[in-house]
Amino acid sequence: MRATGLRTMLGVHWRTHRSGTLVWILALIASMVGTAAAVAGLYTTPEKIHTYAAAVTTGSALVAINGRVEGIDSLGGVIQDESGFLMALLLPLLGISLVAKVTRREEEDGRLEAVLGGRVARYVPVLAGLIDASAAILVTALAFTLGITFCGVPAVRSALYAASLGGLAFVFAGLAALVAQITRHSRGVYAWSLLVLTVAYLLRGVGDVTKTWVTWLSPLGWAEKAAPFGAMRWWTLLIPLAVGGLLCAAAVLIAGRRDLGSSLVRGRPGSARASAWLRSPVGLATYIHSPAVLGWLAGALIIAGMMGALAKQFVGAVTGNPAMADAIGMSTAHPEDGFVAVTQLYIAIIAMGYAVQAVGSLRGEETAGRLEPRLSGTLSRMGWIAAHGLVIVTGLVIIVAVSSVVLAASTAWSMGTPLHLARVIGAGAAYLPAELLVGGLALALFGLWPRAFPAGWAVFAIVAFIAFLGPGLKLATWVLDLAPTTHIGNPPLGTVKALPLIVLSALAALLAATAAVGFRHRGVPRG
Amino acid sequence: MSTAQPVIRAERLTKTFGPVRALDGLDLEVAPGEVHGFLGPNGAGKSTTIRVVLGLIRASGGHVELFGGDPWRQAATLHERLAYVAGDVALWPGLTGGQCLDVLGATQGVLDETRRADLIDRFELDPTKRVRDYSKGNRQKVALIAALAADVELLVLDEPTSGLDPLMEQAFQEVVRTRREQGCSVLLSSHILGEVEALADRVSIIRRGKTVTTGTLAELRRHTRTHVHAVTVDEPAGLADAPGLTDWSSERLDGHIESRFSIDADHLDAVIGQLHHAQIHTLTVTPPSLDDLFLRTYDEEVPLHDVPGLEQPEEALR
Ligand SMILES: Nc1ncnc2c1ncn2[C@@H]1O[C@H](COP(=O)(O)OP(=O)(O)OP(=O)(O)O)[C@@H](O)[C@H]1O
Ligand SMILES: [Mg+2]
Repeated sequence: MRATGLRTMLGVHWRTHRSGTLVWILALIASMVGTAAAVAGLYTTPEKIHTYAAAVTTGSALVAINGRVEGIDSLGGVIQDESGFLMALLLPLLGISLVAKVTRREEEDGRLEAVLGGRVARYVPVLAGLIDASAAILVTALAFTLGITFCGVPAVRSALYAASLGGLAFVFAGLAALVAQITRHSRGVYAWSLLVLTVAYLLRGVGDVTKTWVTWLSPLGWAEKAAPFGAMRWWTLLIPLAVGGLLCAAAVLIAGRRDLGSSLVRGRPGSARASAWLRSPVGLATYIHSPAVLGWLAGALIIAGMMGALAKQFVGAVTGNPAMADAIGMSTAHPEDGFVAVTQLYIAIIAMGYAVQAVGSLRGEETAGRLEPRLSGTLSRMGWIAAHGLVIVTGLVIIVAVSSVVLAASTAWSMGTPLHLARVIGAGAAYLPAELLVGGLALALFGLWPRAFPAGWAVFAIVAFIAFLGPGLKLATWVLDLAPTTHIGNPPLGTVKALPLIVLSALAALLAATAAVGFRHRGVPRG
Repeated sequence: MSTAQPVIRAERLTKTFGPVRALDGLDLEVAPGEVHGFLGPNGAGKSTTIRVVLGLIRASGGHVELFGGDPWRQAATLHERLAYVAGDVALWPGLTGGQCLDVLGATQGVLDETRRADLIDRFELDPTKRVRDYSKGNRQKVALIAALAADVELLVLDEPTSGLDPLMEQAFQEVVRTRREQGCSVLLSSHILGEVEALADRVSIIRRGKTVTTGTLAELRRHTRTHVHAVTVDEPAGLADAPGLTDWSSERLDGHIESRFSIDADHLDAVIGQLHHAQIHTLTVTPPSLDDLFLRTYDEEVPLHDVPGLEQPEEALR
C-alpha cells in the first residue's frame, strides 16, 4: 500500500502537538537526568553504593516496588533502582498519551474526518501518530543516554538502559494505537492501556519477588531483564521491538479496514429523561467528575492495597536495617508508622493529580462549548463554579478516605495487628490542605488565565517529583520546601503541626477566591 | 414599532479581542413581540454581539441593555426570561438526547412539559439515543427543542437551523411563528434568507462589526430597486435621464420599443407614467429581491457608504 498523505499528516501532527510533546519529553528528561545527577552527587564512594545496595535488597518490599535491579552495586544500578517506580509509570504514559492524542482524540472531535476527506489514506493518521511517538521516544532515549553518561555511568550501559526504557514506551505506544481502534473514546484508550500497565506492574512485582519466569510476562520485566548494569542482555531489546511492532501493525491494519468513527464497543440507548438530580447543578457536576474520581480512586486503591499487602515485608526489612530505613525515609523505631507515612504520601500525590485533572475538566467544558449554554441560563457563574468546587472537593475527600481505609485494613491484615483506622485516616486527611492548594492553583489559572491551564500540570509534576524523590536524593531544603507536601510533617510518623496546615488551607482558600473573582470578570468562552 | 421598552438595546457597541476588532460601533434594537432577523457575512460579529447581549462577554465600549437591565451585572436574573441556542451546539456526549434536553431546560428555567413532548414529536427526535450517536442535525434539534419549549419572553437563536433538513426547517418556522403569536420576542441570527424573509418582522444587517442597515422588510424593499421590462409603441420620453433610474437599455424590436431598466421605489410611479404615455404593449415589473439586497450589503468590495439607498445610522451620527 502507498502511504498517501503521510508527509501531510506528519506535518499536521507536528504543528498541532509539538508544544505538548516537547513539554512531555523535557519533563521526562529533567526527572531522569535530575535523579541521576542527584544519585551521583549522593553516592560518591563504592562504600556508600554498597550500603544502599545492601539496604534495598533486604526483604522483598522494595524489590516489588522498584524492581530487582541486576548490578545494583554500581552507580547505574542505584540510578535504575531510584527511578524504577517513576520510570515504570512515566515511559508507558509517554507512549500512551502521544498516541491517544493524535488518534482517537482527533477522531472523537471530528477532525479526523476532515483529514480523511482529503488526500490521506485511512490508515495514515495512525501510522503518522506512531512515527511521531517513536521519534519522541528515540529523542528521549538519546537524551537519557547522554545525561546518565554525563553523571559518570559507562556510555554503553547508559545506552542499553535508555534503550530498554525506550522499548517499554514503544510497546505501550503500540498498545494505545491498537486500543484506539477498538474503543470509542480517548478516555477508553487511557483506561484500557493503564489497566494493562497495572497488570504488567503487578506481574513484574510478583515475578521479581518470587524470582520466577513471571517477570518475563511483563513489558516492565523485559526492560528490567536487559540488565544494563549487570549482564547486559542486548537481545532482550528484540522483545519490545517485536511486540510493539506487532501491535502497531495490527493497529494500522485495522485502521485501514474499519469505518470512520466505528469501533467494536458500541453505546446502548438510555433514559429519555434526566432525573431531578442530574438537572441540578451539583448533579450534573457529579456526572462530569465521576469518571475522574473513579479512575484516580482506582489508582489510589491499587497503591494502598498493594503496599498494605506488602506491609509485613517492609516492616520486617526495616527492623534491624537502618540503612534501608534511611533509603526509603522510614524509621526503625516505629516501622509501621513509617510505612503508612510513605504510602500516604503516594496517595496524596494521586489525590493531587485528581484535583488538577478535575479542574482541567472545567476548562474542557469551556473549550468544548458546553459552558456557554450552561451560563446563559439562570445559573450564575458563582453558582456554577461553587457546584463544581463542592463536587471536586467531595471527590478528593472520597479518594483520600476510601484509600486510607483500604490501607489501614490491608496493613492490619498483612501485619496481623489491630486496625489503626483513625491514625491512618488522620494521616491521609492531614495532606488535604496540600492537595487543595495545588487544586486551588489550577483553579486560579482557570479563572484568570484559562489558556495557561497546562501550567497546573507542570506544578503537579514538580511537586510529585520533589515529594517522591526529593528526600531520597537529599535535595536542598529550599527545594523540598517548594512542595506543599513537605510542610505536612510526614504523618503518622512525624507530628503534624497546626500552623502549616492552617497556612496551606488559607492559601488554598485565597486561590479559590481569586479564581472565582477572575472567572466572574472574564469572558466566556475564551478560546 | 412598539413604543414599549425594547427587549434588547445595544448602542455603539465595541469589542476587541487583542488586535481583532470584532465589534466596531454596533447598534441593535429588538422590540417586544417581534422576530428580529440578524444578518451579516461570516465573521461580521453576530455571535459576538449575542454573547455581549447575554452577558457572557463584556463589551469594550458602548451601551447594552437586556430587558432594561445590565446583562453583565445581572446575567443570571435576566436569563430567567430568555432561552438561547448557541452557534455551535455542544452537548454532553455520554448523556441521551432526552437527558440533555432536561439539563438544558433546567439551565434555562422551566420547560413546558406539553410543549416538550409536542416538539419531540414534531422534530422526530429519538430522546433515548446517546448524544455521541446523534447526527449533527439531531444534536441541533436537542438545543432547539430545549429553547423552544422553555417558558420565556425572548428566544436568542444563533444560526438555529444549520444542519436541519427542509422538512425540519418548515417545522421550525411554524413553531417560531406560534411562539411569536404567544408574545415571545425572537432574535434570529441566520444565513438562510428564506428563513428570515418568512419569519422576521424587522432585520438588522451588520458588516465588520457595524450595523449597515436596520428596518422592516417592507422598508428594506423600498430601498432596493425594481427591475422593469417594458415594450411600448412609442419611444418613452426622457427615460434615460429620469431620476432614480439606472442600467437603462433600449432597442427597437418588431416596430416596438423594448426598454429595460431598474428604478428605485420612490421614482417608480413617475416612470410608469412616462411609459403609459408611450402606450404600453407589455410590461413586466420584477419586485426587488432580498437576495440582491443581502448580496450587495455583504459584498466586502463595496465600501459601506456606497451601499445605495440604505439607511446608515452611523453615517447620520458623524
Ligand atoms: N475569543 C475571540 N478571540 C479572538 N477573536 C475572536 C474571538 N471571538 C470572535 N473573534 C473574532 O471576532 C470576529 C467576529 O466573530 P463572530 O463569531 O462574532 O462572527 P459571526 O458574525 O458570528 O460569524 P459567523 O457567521 O461565521 O458565525 C471574527 O473576526 C472572529 O475571528
Ligand atoms: Mg456566529
